Amino acid sequence: MELILAAAIGVLAASGVYLILRPRTFQVIIGLSLISYAVNLFILAMGRLRMDAAPILDGANANPADYVDPVPQALVLTAIVIGFAMTALFLVVLLAARGLTGNDHVDGKLD
Amino acid sequence: MPFLACILAYALQGRLSSGAVYVSGGVAALLFLITLLLFPQISAVGVLSHRIEWIPQLGLNLTLRMDGLAWLFCVLITLIGLLVVLYARYYMSPKDPVARFYALLLAFMGAMLGLVLSGNIIQLAVFWELTGLVSFLLIGYWYHRGDARDGARMALIVTGMGGLALFVAMLLIGHIVGSYELDDVLASGSTLVDSPLYPVTLILFLLAAFTKSAQFPFQFWLPNAMTAPTPVSAYLHSATMVKAGVFLLTRFWPVMSDSELWFAIVTYTGLATLIFGAAAALFQRDLKGLLAYSTISHLGLITTLLGMGTPLAAVAAIFHIANHATFKASLFMVVGIIDHETGTRDVRKLSGLRRFMPFTATFAIIACGAMAGVPLLNGFLSKEMFFTETAVFNPNAFVNLSLPIGATIAGMLSVAYSIKFVHGVFFGPPPTELDRVPHEPPALMRRPMELLVVVCLAVGIIPGITIGPFLASAVQSVLGADTPYYSLSVWHGFNWPLLMSLLAMLGGVVIYVPYYRRFRDVDGLPFLTRFRGQRIFERLLVNATNKWARSFIELFGTQRLQPQIFIVVLLALLAGVAAGWARMGNLPLPESFDPVLGLVWVLGGVSAIAAAQQARFHRLAAMILMGGAGLATCITFAWLSAPDLALTQLLAEIATTVLILLGLRWLPKRLPVPDDLTLRSRARRARDIGLAVLVGLGAALASYAVMTRGAPTGISEFFLANAYKQGGGTNVVNVMLVDFRGFDTMGEITVLGVVALTVFALLRRFRPAADSADRPEQQRLLDGSAEGQRLADDFLRIPALIMTWLFPVVIAIAIYMLLRGHDLPGGGFIAGIILSLAFILQYMANGTRWVEERLRVLPVLWIGWGLGLAMLTGLGAMALGAPFLTSAFAYAEIPLIGKIPLATALLFDLGVFALVVGATVLMLIALAHQSIRRPKPAGSAKPREREGLAKWN
Amino acid sequence: MAALNHIAILPILVPMAAVIANLLLGNLRPPSRVRLNLAFSVVLALVSILLLVALAQSDGHLAAVYPLGNWPVPFGIVLVADRLAAVMVLVTSILSLAALVYASARWHSRGTNFFPLFHALTMGLNGAFLTGDLFNLFVFFELLLAASYGLTLHGGGRNQVKAALHYIAINLVASFLFLIGVALIYATTGTLNMADIARAVPLIAPDDRGLFDAGAAVLGVAFLIKAGSWPLHFWLPRTYSSAAPPVAALFAVMTKVGFYAILRLWTLVFANSSGPELAFGQNVLLVLGLATISFGSIGALSSKALDRLASYLILVSAGTLLLAVGYNAPGVTSGALYYVVVATLAAGALFLLKDVIDQILPAEAQVLAVSLEIYGDEEEAADDVDEVSRTVPGAATLVSWCFAIAALIMAGLPPLSGFVSKFAMISAALGAGPTAATWWFIAALIVSGFLVLVAMVRNGINIFWTSLPDSDTPLVRTAELAPIVVLLALCVALALAAGPAMAFFTETAAFIHSPQGYVDVVLPREATP
Repeated sequence: MELILAAAIGVLAASGVYLILRPRTFQVIIGLSLISYAVNLFILAMGRLRMDAAPILDGANANPADYVDPVPQALVLTAIVIGFAMTALFLVVLLAARGLTGNDHVDGKLD
Repeated sequence: MPFLACILAYALQGRLSSGAVYVSGGVAALLFLITLLLFPQISAVGVLSHRIEWIPQLGLNLTLRMDGLAWLFCVLITLIGLLVVLYARYYMSPKDPVARFYALLLAFMGAMLGLVLSGNIIQLAVFWELTGLVSFLLIGYWYHRGDARDGARMALIVTGMGGLALFVAMLLIGHIVGSYELDDVLASGSTLVDSPLYPVTLILFLLAAFTKSAQFPFQFWLPNAMTAPTPVSAYLHSATMVKAGVFLLTRFWPVMSDSELWFAIVTYTGLATLIFGAAAALFQRDLKGLLAYSTISHLGLITTLLGMGTPLAAVAAIFHIANHATFKASLFMVVGIIDHETGTRDVRKLSGLRRFMPFTATFAIIACGAMAGVPLLNGFLSKEMFFTETAVFNPNAFVNLSLPIGATIAGMLSVAYSIKFVHGVFFGPPPTELDRVPHEPPALMRRPMELLVVVCLAVGIIPGITIGPFLASAVQSVLGADTPYYSLSVWHGFNWPLLMSLLAMLGGVVIYVPYYRRFRDVDGLPFLTRFRGQRIFERLLVNATNKWARSFIELFGTQRLQPQIFIVVLLALLAGVAAGWARMGNLPLPESFDPVLGLVWVLGGVSAIAAAQQARFHRLAAMILMGGAGLATCITFAWLSAPDLALTQLLAEIATTVLILLGLRWLPKRLPVPDDLTLRSRARRARDIGLAVLVGLGAALASYAVMTRGAPTGISEFFLANAYKQGGGTNVVNVMLVDFRGFDTMGEITVLGVVALTVFALLRRFRPAADSADRPEQQRLLDGSAEGQRLADDFLRIPALIMTWLFPVVIAIAIYMLLRGHDLPGGGFIAGIILSLAFILQYMANGTRWVEERLRVLPVLWIGWGLGLAMLTGLGAMALGAPFLTSAFAYAEIPLIGKIPLATALLFDLGVFALVVGATVLMLIALAHQSIRRPKPAGSAKPREREGLAKWN
Repeated sequence: MAALNHIAILPILVPMAAVIANLLLGNLRPPSRVRLNLAFSVVLALVSILLLVALAQSDGHLAAVYPLGNWPVPFGIVLVADRLAAVMVLVTSILSLAALVYASARWHSRGTNFFPLFHALTMGLNGAFLTGDLFNLFVFFELLLAASYGLTLHGGGRNQVKAALHYIAINLVASFLFLIGVALIYATTGTLNMADIARAVPLIAPDDRGLFDAGAAVLGVAFLIKAGSWPLHFWLPRTYSSAAPPVAALFAVMTKVGFYAILRLWTLVFANSSGPELAFGQNVLLVLGLATISFGSIGALSSKALDRLASYLILVSAGTLLLAVGYNAPGVTSGALYYVVVATLAAGALFLLKDVIDQILPAEAQVLAVSLEIYGDEEEAADDVDEVSRTVPGAATLVSWCFAIAALIMAGLPPLSGFVSKFAMISAALGAGPTAATWWFIAALIVSGFLVLVAMVRNGINIFWTSLPDSDTPLVRTAELAPIVVLLALCVALALAAGPAMAFFTETAAFIHSPQGYVDVVLPREATP
């Protein structure tokens, strides 16, 4: 299980990095999203993996040992929201750049 | 002494006062008197000092310290300052904004006084720089003249460099000696010379002194500084500022001069300057140029003396400093008068002025005599001493020969150019090429010059009385106990020095006669005209600032994005590996394997890679693939017991997709072209892939390592244990978001809001590119006719109906999600996204206009209220005295929904909800709205104000 | 103490309230809106001063600790306002006030939503300085970045958008790095509170130590990007010089955030965990600092336009600070702190000044000046020019004085505060016993100072002496000139009051360099085993 997740993170990160090194703005934005998946999974992994141990307590008397570490999840939630915001922003800037420079090259130069 | 200090301060701030002649003159006179009055004390006590604390803990204080040497300089500075002020009164044109001029002059006087009086070596460096800066402003006084600008800039850069060198030198000295106080330094004896740091210190030190005193090879700035008004030249560039360098040498002479290195460098630099300056002076047409070079050579003479390191030489040096100041200043004034009266300073145009201005002529001739070292004038005495010193036998044969010979040659040359000055200007036929008839200048303009010349005479004839005591005290302050015996009498009997000066006299004449015949029209040293320091300097500056720096920046910098990102990623990778590799520990083999998750990720991974490969041409495909990867991520979250994450990721996913879909329309059409297979692009792609793979490996490795290790005992138990007891919720993650780490969430929603505002602000003035400005053909097809319109309505009618009905339901779901968030997966963000998705559905179904007509949501207000609510929740706690965001909670029965927690956290979550709705809707609408605008393409005029969007802000 | 604590959070809440107010009072008339925002900024400045004073008066190395939500440290998020943080907050507030006053004259109307974005940036900066929690630091970084994106685009034309595209892309990558770093650190220490991390570092299992270091290194790269270190700063000059002047002025603080984060974490976490990575990291910082400083000063030399020059000066100061951190000696640090304040204020003033100058001078005049300088002016012989200088219009004189002062400070020439700071740093470096690093350090500071001097002189001459239009008195708004004058006046005042100031900074540096003190203040006794 750990192996799979690690591989998954690796693949996502790799394809993301490859994309952000491309010259087209659209490629860059896709790459950023992929990387953000990778990072989110990475953070989650930092809490070690547990199955069927969702941090949702049943009643007052709960034994912490039965639940997965909630901290990374909280971090990931924040990260997701911010990531969403940033992606949207980047998208719009990208559109504006495309509008003003007339093409979608990251440096705004003509092909 | 404090008295002097405050006067000094006044002189400095005279810069701000309207700086009329009288103010400056008055100040100068006052300072002069004070200085004079102080002499008895000096000669009695030796050293007066007064200290003002500045940065005590760094040993940097404002110490004013006056001893004989300083006193001598003070006299020079104030006296000549006073005279120059009077002189300038007539020299400067009435149209000039003289206030600035005098203010600067005063400022300079203050700085110079501070320099010679400073008893703290750092303070010395400070005032040193100040003199440089002020002289920059004075040289550039006529800044509308190109040459003045260049001269000023050159002077500042050269002396500024020296100043910085001095600063470091002083720091080193302070470090070696252990104190920045001049007294301690002077008392330190041979500590400096013995220290291992001595050589570097000395080099820097001398660099400073030589740049300031225009020693070879830094002499070139001085002639160019002659573009300053003549009073300035007379004051700064002959009498005072250029003396600062030799002052420095004299100042530190006791503690630094006792070494071979000093002797070698200083003496021969001085000698070279001496000869070069004299020679160059001979070949000048411009009188000021001539004087400038002669100044250089005289400074060289002083430097040589200081270099020799014998006490007597030091005496001679100090003596000559004073002498030179007097006769050179007066000569500058003469030139100024000539310039003023005839309108030119060119030797060739001038001649026979003797008839027109007899007084000036006589005095000028005397001054020149002093310059040449004619007996019965002060110049003669110090030059005699100089010759005496050079003639002293030295074991080193080379030294033994080079010094006297060099001295004699220089003597001849200086005689020659003195003759040139006199003969060329005042004798010969009346001038022909002058546009006006010269006559004597106003008396008061002459006075200063005359006074100085008188001084020359007095000192020259009866030195013992006139200068003796002052010189004595100055020498005392430098040499201290071991002051040698020296006599200032005019006649020492017939000896070597006398012979040498006679030789010099004759030689001078001998040189001049042929020169007058042949070279009088040559400007600049005949064999050196090719490279002049100035030219080299200018070229250097221009190249350095334009070509070289530019190419350097292009070499080590880039403006393109890809390389930058590449560097960033690469560096991060390297840093991580370099730091981590050493103590990574060992990796156990996987024990458990999960087929389902494996399958999910086979798909996920494939789609990710495919997305990477497709993104270039098939945007839509790439997006769908990306969605696949995202979906896999969601499933993983769910699988690994993180339901909230799964939900949130999914919704954020959808929202992003919608946004990108709305945006795609504005990107240029791309048809797959066969990608260029040039080696270069291939190499680049290979390189990128390589990096990507490495990064992937790194990330995988790190995460795997972490996952297979045991967790450290961290903070997590606390949350699990207290979420219900103190946070009042069973969904720990949500409790953390709204309570334990509510502050994060607050920041996070602020980010969301800010981004929304940015997006909106940006889209307000969105300009699509020309080729995507016109509407897509689907739309054109449709609204071509009423027929088309009806068609459109038809094929969207059913879904529209459904979605309109769906709307309330979605809202209900959203609220439910919000309320249950505290105990079960859900919460403000999720609810918010859901709601805003509901709006999007409306857009899709019924079209932008339809919604914008009916929509009652004002997103910006929602954002505002959301933030406000979150903040108020926190402030509420503060009102109760508890820290910000302290929560309280209770449970309440609500029919139909059941038991829900009424924590203040819920209010907070409500705020989150409101903000998310506002932000998301704002972004989506702003983007969607573009489709119904008729935006002008980029490059066209300002887009007209849009009623549609005006509603949203 | 309690009162002090509540002061500690206000620098974050006041700007936030300002944002909210701007959003809710959307339909406010421009004049009253401007007044509202100015009021908020003034309040913020006052609060910051109050905070600093309170800290300075409370004796010894005290820091205000503010547990948000009243959760016990290290579980909840905590604000830690020690002197360093307080100083940075004060600088931010003052600069933002000045920039806001400046902007209120013209710039705010160049685009939508200027004020909320502006306050959001201030909020993010202050939060980043005050927080004592690593992930919270991330959040505030994102906040200030988001706001800065918005402001970079403010009144956006082609250049702004292009610059912003690069700026955003790179900083998004940086954010990912930040997250990865934080995640790794959490995974190995199990906590997010900085003080707690400092406590936990020695307890890390030897096998995990590698992971921790890797995380720290990645985090460091993220910070270096913010701090504008070579070779991670190529986006900086372009972004700064294309941003609206008041915005750029406030951006002058942003690179300092990176410096702050590095300094804080470095001294707190690593300086006391002795090991190979300490020396290693130190050398890396020194080398990067050298590279940055030389790049910056040569860039300054190469730049013809004032805004570009200012951007490169930002790099110079960034390099200087990196060097100082890498030097890792209390004396140097105290000098560096003094330098941060001065350099930031002066740089901000310079950005504003550039805009004023653009109003006075027609751009083509400046271009002409440059070409004149390169190709010389043969047609202008010395004699035929009248030897009468010109009377300079009053406003221009003031402006030129401001420029001169800024130049002196930037080049570190006496007698102004730039010189004091360099003197403090160098003498401290020498005092700590000269090593190879010392000579590099001194050489870097001095040479860069010289290059900057040359650059400033060139630009100054081209602007004020070559291309100053005759006789017509240009219009400069008081609201625009005042902030510049005030900022520079502050720098000068700092030079005059160098004694007490240095004393204060020395104590601050001492506190920073004794991490145990920080840990003890933040963590209650029972939390530290």
